[in-house]
Amino acid sequence: MTALIEAHDLTRSFEVSRGMFKGKRTLHAVNGISLDIRQGEVLAIVGESGCGKSTLARMLLGLLPPSAGAITLEGQDIRSLGRKGMARRVQPVFQDPYSSLNPRRTIASIVALPLEVHGIGTAAERRKMTIEMLDKVGLPQRFADRYPRELSGGQRQRVAIARALVMKPEVVVCDEPTSALDVSVQSQILNLLMDLRRELNLTYVFISHNLAVVEHIATRVAVMYLGRVVELAETEALFKAPRHPYTKALLASVLTPEPGLGIPDTGLGIAFPDPLNPPSGCPFHPRCPERLPQCGSVVPQILRDENGAVACHLHGQAPAPH
Amino acid sequence: MANSSDIVLEIDGLSVDIRTAGGTLHAVRDISFSVKRGETLCLVGESGCGKSMTSLAIMDLLPKAATKSARRLAFAGEDLSRAGKSRINALRGNRMSMIFQEPMTALNPAYTIGNQLVEAYCLHKKASEAEARERAVFLLGKVGIANAAERLGQYPHQLSGGLRQRVMIAMALMCGPELLIADEPTTALDVTIQAQILRLLADLQQELGIAMVLITHDLGIVARIADRVAVMYAGQIVEEGPTTSLFNAPRHPYTQGLIECIPVPGRTEPGGRLGVIPGVVPSLVGEVRGCSFRDRCTKAQQACLDAPPVRETADGHRWRCILENAA
Ligand SMILES: Nc1ncnc2c1ncn2[C@@H]1O[C@H](COP(=O)(O)OP(=O)(O)OP(=O)(O)O)[C@@H](O)[C@H]1O
Ligand SMILES: Nc1ncnc2c1ncn2[C@@H]1O[C@H](COP(=O)(O)OP(=O)(O)O)[C@@H](O)[C@H]1O
Ligand code: SF4
Ligand code: SF4
Ligand SMILES: [Mg+2]
Ligand SMILES: [Mg+2]
Repeated sequence: MTALIEAHDLTRSFEVSRGMFKGKRTLHAVNGISLDIRQGEVLAIVGESGCGKSTLARMLLGLLPPSAGAITLEGQDIRSLGRKGMARRVQPVFQDPYSSLNPRRTIASIVALPLEVHGIGTAAERRKMTIEMLDKVGLPQRFADRYPRELSGGQRQRVAIARALVMKPEVVVCDEPTSALDVSVQSQILNLLMDLRRELNLTYVFISHNLAVVEHIATRVAVMYLGRVVELAETEALFKAPRHPYTKALLASVLTPEPGLGIPDTGLGIAFPDPLNPPSGCPFHPRCPERLPQCGSVVPQILRDENGAVACHLHGQAPAPH
Repeated sequence: MANSSDIVLEIDGLSVDIRTAGGTLHAVRDISFSVKRGETLCLVGESGCGKSMTSLAIMDLLPKAATKSARRLAFAGEDLSRAGKSRINALRGNRMSMIFQEPMTALNPAYTIGNQLVEAYCLHKKASEAEARERAVFLLGKVGIANAAERLGQYPHQLSGGLRQRVMIAMALMCGPELLIADEPTTALDVTIQAQILRLLADLQQELGIAMVLITHDLGIVARIADRVAVMYAGQIVEEGPTTSLFNAPRHPYTQGLIECIPVPGRTEPGGRLGVIPGVVPSLVGEVRGCSFRDRCTKAQQACLDAPPVRETADGHRWRCILENAA
């Protein structure tokens, strides 16, 4: 598979004030991420709240400039494409179907807006494209002239998906697209995303907290911790044989609906990391059950091999002697 | 056979009505269940099915627009359905307590963690502040908060979401409750922290023999923590039974549908189609006639226009459907 989007050593920091008299501190929300997004794949990004998933997503969408590093789309720097140029090819679907739709616009005008902004077609043509797209996401024409408040959460998320797809993008970046939805609605939206992917040959970046959903929908998974990708692998390999201790803990935390298994012990310490004051060495070391002596002082380099990538001293550059 | 004195919470025929602009909304409709000492009952269902209204009705914390009625709502053998405010106040936060989904609804931003933990204990247990502080430090340690004594001086906004949730668990346990109601206690948290907090809750509940009602929409949590499960739909309990029996042999079409909707590694094919429940929940304003799941049920028939019977197996698995076995 060829790389559609490539991120080169992406970094994004924010200046955060710590209250009166304390001055500002730099928060590294994304800290040196390099990854490629391949044509036709579903790349999931997982990790705890605050680890930088949405910040990475907003950079991939061209909505937030990186502090350092660059993003290319088929080899071309996205800065030269501009926001509009990016919007034609990469579109977002966000988590909250309640706040992401303008309450004063009808469903049809919400979906048609990107077409208008880009000056695509006549009003009549835009209406036709909009109705077709609404139909594709499972909203019959009678919804076209309603308002968001008249729709259920799942229906609103369908509108958000129609709005993203009406521009016929190649890549859709979904940031927690189903986490605000009930499970019976979530399954409908996941089925829809999978159908549309096949039909329209889409590439997805899929951010989610829900690892069961990720295992179901993703082809590849990137695991983030404190602004870095700590492991990257094909979905099946990652779930079968996680390499990074944090990935192992994440997978151990998944509560599958199997009675009798009880609540797992993740083996993690309780020291939740402070992104303003990240631990030295391996950022995971205060919680790591497999910590080595050098972990507190030496940052593990990322090892890239045929299985993907992992950043952990347990998986060093040199193959371990047997 | 459990001794009847082991029953901590007994609810018979609880209903909650809410006055709305469009008419009376029947948020909870004639539900009955009981929970024993040391037992965990999970109330599961999708948003709006009445889970929170049920818990607020038990704790007598319903919003002003809501009224409750019950044939019996008994705590430790004492019927509270007609008890006065002062009696409830003496029990709430003392022998029965609650953990809310959003910790900030229970924690007062203007007071330190220490003040809030200590207050109820001093009031209910007639304890000195020093004794209360000692217990607070002990419990914060139990819920995995390091340097607890230091934390007592902090305000809620100075803590992360996971820490606040732990503080709330400690607060709910301060007076050694016999009944604990936890409404979506981990929904806002990351999976790793969720697992840690649920494990903690389950351990403490076992250790202290608490009767726990845990409310969630997450079937994974239910399967792992519940002794018994009650499935709610449109204000009613449509199925209730021992956890294993409910997951391995769900009887009600709604429960069956819910279980089919979730991706389960090994059971669902990666990238394949997940089950769906077509349609939407019926309006709860006005009378709901017949089976409330009728419009969405693939097994519905003429007879479902009448209220379906409650069926029951020998192991205490009950469901509300015209069908003996819908599978
Ligand atoms: N505009 C901003 N100003 C300051 N800090 C920010 C800003 N945006 C994000 N951050 C910080 O950057 C870090 C990463 O945030 P981000 O929203 O990317 O996390 P996330 O992984 O998407 O989390 P969640 O799972 O909660 O959505 C967090 O510590 C966050 O507080
Ligand atoms: N303050 C209120 N005013 C009017 N309706 C309410 C209010 N609170 C809840 N409801 C309604 O009562 C029903 C049950 O709500 P709730 O118990 O909060 O559901 P759950 O906790 O299962 O998501 C829903 O239809 C909801 O819209
Ligand atoms: S580098 Fe060390 S601390 Fe970090 S994950 Fe690997 S073993 Fe654990
Ligand atoms: S009573 Fe009828 S409509 Fe209701 S769940 Fe049973 S079969 Fe379906
Ligand atoms: Mg986010
Ligand atoms: Mg609720």
